[in-house]
Amino acid sequence: MAMQFPDTFDVIVIGGGHAGTEAAAAAARMGASTLLLTMSVETIGAMSCNPAIGGIGKSHLVREIDALDGVMARATDRAGIQFRVLNGSKGPAVRATRAQADRVLYRQAVREALEHTPNLKIFQQSVVDLVIDADHVAGVITQMGLTFRAPAVVLTTGTFLGGRIHVGLEQQPGGRAGDPPSNALAERLRALPLRVDRLKTGTPPRIDGRSVDFSVMEVQPGDEPVPVMSLIGSAEEHPQQVPCHITHTNARTHEIIRAGLDRSPLYTGVIEGTGPRYCPSIEDKVVRFEGKQSHQVFVEPEGLTTPELYPNGISTSLPFDVQLALVRSIKGFEQAHITRPGYAIEYDFFDPRDLYHSLETRVIEGLFFAGQINGTTGYEEAAAQGLLAGINAARKVAGQPSWCPRRDEAYLGVLVDDLVSRGTNEPYRMFTSRAEFRLRLREDNADLRLTAIGHELGVVSDGRMGAFLTKARAIDDLRERLRTIRVAPGSATALSVEHALGERISKDTDAFTLLRRPALHIDALCRVLNLPLAALDVAQQVEIMSKYDGYIARQDEEIARIRRHEQLMLPVDLDYARIDGLSSELKQKLTHARPENLARAAHIPGITPAALSLLLVHARKHQASA
Amino acid sequence: MAAKRSASADEAGARGGGLEHDTIAAIATPPGRGGIGIVRVSGPAATTIAERITGTRPTPRHAALVEFRDADDGLIDRGIVLHFARPASFTGEDVIEFHGHGGPVVMDLLLAACLSFGARMARAGEFSERAFGNGKIDLVQAEAIADLIASTSQAGARSAMRSLAGEFSRHIEALAAAIVDLRLYVEAAIDFPEEEVDFLAEGEVGARLDAIAADLGRLRRTANQGALLTEGFELVIAGRPNAGKSSLLNRLARHERAIVTEVPGTTRDVLIERIELGGLPLVIVDTAGLRASPDRVEQEGVRRARAAVAGADHVLFLFDPQVSEDPLSAAKAEGLNMGRLTLVENKADLSGLRVGWVRDGPPPVVRISALTGAGIDALEQHLKRIAGYRDDEGGFSARRRHLAALAQVAEALTAARQAMDEGRSGELVAEDLRRAHDALGEIVGAVTSDALLGEIFGRFCIGK
Ligand SMILES: Cc1cc2nc3c(=O)[nH]c(=O)nc-3n(C[C@H](O)[C@H](O)[C@H](O)COP(=O)(O)OP(=O)(O)OC[C@H]3O[C@@H](n4cnc5c(N)ncnc54)[C@H](O)[C@@H]3O)c2cc1C
Ligand SMILES: Nc1nc2c(ncn2[C@@H]2O[C@H](COP(=O)(O)OP(=O)(O)OP(=O)(O)O)[C@@H](O)[C@H]2O)c(=O)[nH]1
Ligand SMILES: [Mg+2]
Repeated sequence: MAMQFPDTFDVIVIGGGHAGTEAAAAAARMGASTLLLTMSVETIGAMSCNPAIGGIGKSHLVREIDALDGVMARATDRAGIQFRVLNGSKGPAVRATRAQADRVLYRQAVREALEHTPNLKIFQQSVVDLVIDADHVAGVITQMGLTFRAPAVVLTTGTFLGGRIHVGLEQQPGGRAGDPPSNALAERLRALPLRVDRLKTGTPPRIDGRSVDFSVMEVQPGDEPVPVMSLIGSAEEHPQQVPCHITHTNARTHEIIRAGLDRSPLYTGVIEGTGPRYCPSIEDKVVRFEGKQSHQVFVEPEGLTTPELYPNGISTSLPFDVQLALVRSIKGFEQAHITRPGYAIEYDFFDPRDLYHSLETRVIEGLFFAGQINGTTGYEEAAAQGLLAGINAARKVAGQPSWCPRRDEAYLGVLVDDLVSRGTNEPYRMFTSRAEFRLRLREDNADLRLTAIGHELGVVSDGRMGAFLTKARAIDDLRERLRTIRVAPGSATALSVEHALGERISKDTDAFTLLRRPALHIDALCRVLNLPLAALDVAQQVEIMSKYDGYIARQDEEIARIRRHEQLMLPVDLDYARIDGLSSELKQKLTHARPENLARAAHIPGITPAALSLLLVHARKHQASA
Repeated sequence: MAAKRSASADEAGARGGGLEHDTIAAIATPPGRGGIGIVRVSGPAATTIAERITGTRPTPRHAALVEFRDADDGLIDRGIVLHFARPASFTGEDVIEFHGHGGPVVMDLLLAACLSFGARMARAGEFSERAFGNGKIDLVQAEAIADLIASTSQAGARSAMRSLAGEFSRHIEALAAAIVDLRLYVEAAIDFPEEEVDFLAEGEVGARLDAIAADLGRLRRTANQGALLTEGFELVIAGRPNAGKSSLLNRLARHERAIVTEVPGTTRDVLIERIELGGLPLVIVDTAGLRASPDRVEQEGVRRARAAVAGADHVLFLFDPQVSEDPLSAAKAEGLNMGRLTLVENKADLSGLRVGWVRDGPPPVVRISALTGAGIDALEQHLKRIAGYRDDEGGFSARRRHLAALAQVAEALTAARQAMDEGRSGELVAEDLRRAHDALGEIVGAVTSDALLGEIFGRFCIGK
């Protein structure tokens, strides 16, 4: 049945995973009339793998999504059944919230959020083709022959493109267990002048909790007080909290794995896609770290209404008989019943260097890519990209320039810049060490970094903006207040600080600077100074600002330089091959990357200051002669 | 060339404004030429730097005779300071020129003082680049600037390589490896606290930090004394035993540096002497006489002599005309590079021939008497010529650049240690270590965070 759907849309989003849902919601919040097309409405917001949101580097992305009024953090607060703060003993920049999520609750929360978003329509259909007018996307065609028209399309099909599932030496097509792959679409996309390659990832077998002996395992309860994911969320929204457990593999487990390697798709060369350098599968760990006698397994509940467990740490694509034996060799799993086998999945991804920082493809105008198809792994990485693509798709349709945060503004900026400038040859996951401006990119200040920008972009509601402004003003007030309180040695203020807090004051200073001392905390200081106690998040923010002050200031110079370089646009038609003095390797990289400005060129690996100078001079020449 | 500035270049300047807001400094005169050397500074801090060095605020377009002093108030030189106020200067920014006495040591100290007061070393061609960015140069000149940047950066890289040769580079590599190794643990502890990794205890991090800082301290001391970095043109004296090589070294050094006897085979090791020749830093290397010898020690000496010859910027092949051997064939037999060779005929007091320039090369020939000193003038003139015309930014600049980078590394390591002592949290120590690593990257090439992650995944079993 060929039919043209009567309504036209501003933005069509293909795929209802983590990238797709954020993309659709963001575009709709921006005011674009948006259509979300996905294979099944039932799997909107489905977690293909680990039922957890957040973790180090990832929770930073979640908070940024939240600061831009996205869905993920709020859904997590409504679905999280165990919350912990990782790196609690370290400083605020690297502290990270992680939540174990009830799969069903999470999916419901996401779906409900979408169903309550104005301007957003959902339609259940597999997309098989794109409508392309010359070099501009114009719409999509679904399995039943329906054509939907829109000037901007965001593709977020995850692991589904050319998806191939491996269990031992058996393989079958699949987008994830239980879902068909998107092969027709994959074929159409392969015809576009975009570079495509294969990656792989995997998942562990799931286990029936009723067959597990928890009494021999270590209990890992959630934190108290219970952490919250969204900056505007509260612990009251959380469902019932449950603990996780920890067990370990042992010598026998490893023996079983080694004996099964001859039937491992990974070690017999059946899988061609590249996995990550860190170890995703238990067979990888056993082979690569032969000397390690035992590996941790986190036993995580899949939800409140199911006994199914997710044994985090034993992802595997070994044949099922080996999976069963290895699981049963683990302490507490002796009688375990496997409910679903583990598997590895290989899929197509597009070289992200063919994208702009807006996540629009360089070859088809109006076509945006987000999520796992860009070579990343993880819900948070996918969702963050989706949000950005949704924003930029809506801006494109509205005739506005694209937006992408800088590396010093957001992990989202680091993520996109890493992908677009450097590409990736393994599933890309966020780590805090990827962010050179880590100290500024904190969970706790995601709103300070992004909410005002988001409001200006139109993706943040007035309600959130109002609350944010109140908080931001309180922070400024408190900080200025402390700055004006002089603490001179021997003064009454100094004496009471010395007396009450055991700190020696030998230099003329002010209360804000004083707070830089590691042992001093803002509550105690405010008490001594007879200041009213501020709200927790406000007080905390001021204390962090003081503790990090010198470090942050040192980076300002570098950031100022990056900003200036950002103003220096490089012409799109600059002929890098003809610039003398660039190495041929650099010429090639620059021709590929076609950086939009000097700041982005500076981030291409192997670039030297002299090369930047050359680019600058040539860009100026080019402009002047144009 | 027409001095008219094109309107579009002006526009470009207005659009871009100042390109950089940091202040750069460099020695603006080629090493060793002329009696006056210039250190040029451009950028917003230029006048402040001038004030710190000269003690007075410079007046635009006014030459003032002043004293140049370093951060410890030590006198560097007396000279002239000039201030070209923006935007009418060459670069379009505030420009200061210090005109001093030209010797490389003075110039280097002056540059070091500018750096210590907040300037950074200019990259090759950066002054011109700023001039262009600020619309001070027209399109035609832009082409030339692009070429200049392209060629000088290659030459700069060559000279940096030279300074990185040998022992210095081994120390730097060891330092880089130690920093990577420490960061590996510190970063892994931050990104993977849940993994079963044997993280370093706090005390261990501190101990390693101290060890690295101590190594760095030693390295900087020796580097500052110039013992490790090649800081000048390396001239090797080679020839048969008894040709008078050690006598020539003593003559050039103007003191009795080497043992001289009538016994052939007196010199058995390489002898290094630093001298200054009309402002040019020269490293003179005396070697064992080249001959086949049954003596084990002498054999080793000859081997070292050949190694020195191979690494030389230039070789003086000394010969005694009394000895019946064609010096050119002998030099060729030693595999000497004709482009880097001068034949020196010694003992003119015995032959009675006229000393001085004998003929242009290649290879050129000079006649002298090391014993009486006759003809040494001509030889020195010749050496100045070849050593002065080097096509790179000079070993001195490369060395200064490296020293500046090492100073930054040291500062960052000290900050890391202090953060630990004050009980600051791990990510702050990590930040200082990152800065140290970045600064070292200016010498050994940048290390990306992705490469560091690769190291972490190679070392520890990570992943759930
Ligand atoms: C087996 C497996 C193991 C994984 N292991 C890990 C792990 O260990 N760690 C980790 O961080 N992450 C892991 N992930 C990754 C994580 O699940 C993904 O990164 C994340 O879900 C990607 O989000 P996405 O929105 O890009 O794609 P997905 O969540 O995959 O969503 C894709 C969506 O597109 C829809 N769709 C596909 N094709 C079409 C079409 N033609 N038309 C309409 N709709 C379509 C699908 O129905 C689905 O809703 C794993 C994923 C899988 C499948
Ligand atoms: N008459 C005269 N004798 C010289 C001259 N130069 C060197 N001699 C003498 O030659 C002898 C060897 O001089 P050295 O300088 O030790 O020679 P060398 O080349 O260093 O010799 P080895 O170290 O043995 O290889 C000494 O007796 C010197 O005094 C010269 O110009 N004239
Ligand atoms: Mg000798």
